[in-house]
Amino acid sequence: MKKMSMRTKLFTVWVFFVTNFKRLFRDKTAIFFTFLFPLIFLFVFGGISGHSGTSFKVAVVSSTDSQYYKDFVTSAGKDKILKIDSKINTLKAAKEAMTRGQLDATIIFPANFGQLKDGHPSGQAEVLYTQNGAQAGQAVQGFLQTRYFTPVNAGIIKTTTPFVAVPKQLNDKSLSSFDYTFAGLLGFAILGAGIFGPINIFPELKKMGILRRLHTTPLRVWQYFLSIMLGNAVVGLMTLGVMFAVAMTLFHLKVVGNYFELAIFLVFSIVLILGIGLSIGGWAKNERQAAPLANIVVFPMMFLSGTFFPRFAMPIWLQSVTNFFPLTPVIDGARLIATEGKHLTQLGPQLGIMAVWMIVVYFIAFRVFRWE
Amino acid sequence: MTRHISDEIILKVHKLTKKYDDKVAVNGISFEVRKGEVFGILGPNGAGKTTTLEMIETLREIDGGTATLAGLNVAEHPYEVRAIIGVQPQAPGFQDKTKLSELIQMFAAAYGEKVDVKKFLDDVNLGDKANSFVENLSGGQKQRFSITAALVHNPKVFFLDEPTTGLDPQARRNLWKLIEEVRDRGISVILTTHYMDEAEVLCDRIAIMDDGNIIALDTPKNLIKNLLAKGFTKNQKVEQANLEDVFIEMTGKGLAAI
Repeated sequence: MKKMSMRTKLFTVWVFFVTNFKRLFRDKTAIFFTFLFPLIFLFVFGGISGHSGTSFKVAVVSSTDSQYYKDFVTSAGKDKILKIDSKINTLKAAKEAMTRGQLDATIIFPANFGQLKDGHPSGQAEVLYTQNGAQAGQAVQGFLQTRYFTPVNAGIIKTTTPFVAVPKQLNDKSLSSFDYTFAGLLGFAILGAGIFGPINIFPELKKMGILRRLHTTPLRVWQYFLSIMLGNAVVGLMTLGVMFAVAMTLFHLKVVGNYFELAIFLVFSIVLILGIGLSIGGWAKNERQAAPLANIVVFPMMFLSGTFFPRFAMPIWLQSVTNFFPLTPVIDGARLIATEGKHLTQLGPQLGIMAVWMIVVYFIAFRVFRWE
Repeated sequence: MTRHISDEIILKVHKLTKKYDDKVAVNGISFEVRKGEVFGILGPNGAGKTTTLEMIETLREIDGGTATLAGLNVAEHPYEVRAIIGVQPQAPGFQDKTKLSELIQMFAAAYGEKVDVKKFLDDVNLGDKANSFVENLSGGQKQRFSITAALVHNPKVFFLDEPTTGLDPQARRNLWKLIEEVRDRGISVILTTHYMDEAEVLCDRIAIMDDGNIIALDTPKNLIKNLLAKGFTKNQKVEQANLEDVFIEMTGKGLAAI
């Protein structure tokens, strides 16, 4: 009896992958859900966050005309994240506007802002906000600090202390809600392809007896799974690539991370989430079994892992629970690499959680898989 | 039908048993199938035909006894056995939007093989359909393709589970012819059916199953002869043709229309 070599077994995987890959592009419904559906979400959510989410209405009350203050006003005008209401320029008017909810916060530049102190210019701008506007106020304060002052400070340190290491702009606290929105949408696309794909296709293949037929051949479950993984990884990267391209051209997403690391991370994510879909779809005998189970698994991730609602706005206890959902490190990791320029080596916690889930999910997938 | 069937035993089933909870579905049955033979398992629904077949096909666990196919113990070498058997499902389904040529490649690949797709499809007169999708084939073409796909790896034994259930008379006769062609290639055929006429036309030998047991095993001719020897007479005169023949004659869609 001839034994199949590993090369032959992988050839089998390759043929299955190629056949199903070609098939996808003949299926209009599949193309819609694979490529256009995530883009629709991107436009909807990108649109929302572009107009309200990312910008804060502020008033600037200044008692100085220092160059640092002027620079701030010019660059804030270009940035469009802080929308300065130029009609309000007294503290009294600003306070009134805030209580009416017209403004998110008021930035006060005192007279000594930008004056020399201990040999270099310094100053303390005050961010004023109301009690119920605390969240926006703190965001404005954080944004002001990281986006405008940190780079300026970095510049000052560079000139005054020559022995300091090269200063680097810190991205990790900069607050752009589109960064969050986009990472969430990436997560949503991965979730959709990885889970809704298999749970729709498998019961259909079982109903038609296609898997049963394959079961009568020497094809192994791992070969079948691997061909699906390969397909999902390639198609997934294409989908996500399109999303990145659209986000970068239309929504001014700035990718500062390494594309190769990003691609590796996304493939790892796609394969992980696919494992959940393979478990459910592979186990379910029919759609009626697959759909409810998929919903139970998908909905918590959809709402709590940061797809549509940023996790930083959730209570701490909820964050600490949802930290361990499989999709959370996917979304966080994608954002950390893409928009914050982190490297894979810096994503220990995310990759760790994902690795554990990977083992759990595929252990289940192989255990519960049924050919019919 | 005078064909030479070799004495070589391709399948040996010994005291094969399957239990579902307390119910015995297959009760220690034994039989042998020779190379090039068409072997029929006949019986009513629930007799254990399908279960027997599925145990030999490695799809269902064997609870007792052994099945040995081409010298391989089925329970111990499922993957090796799968490599040398072909299985035609009851209602053959193929994924849509996939070309015949691609499906053939895929099935061959499942066995770790590459085939000359064009030659393969030409051999079964489907060469001009190589770029069609299965859903665009006619019923007869689909049948032919399904059997072809199941034989892509040139198996030693071909299994068909109730292949003609639910088919119209033309499609049935069509399939019988296809099965005869498979047999003529020297492949042993094992099929289940609950149609007596089908068993009589196709099978060299028949095992009649009831309630998990084989209650008779012989050639159709011998089974009839034994019955007649017991003094059995039909209470109706046997016509030389039946209504099915009339239908096929009138619609002109007999075997020639394949």
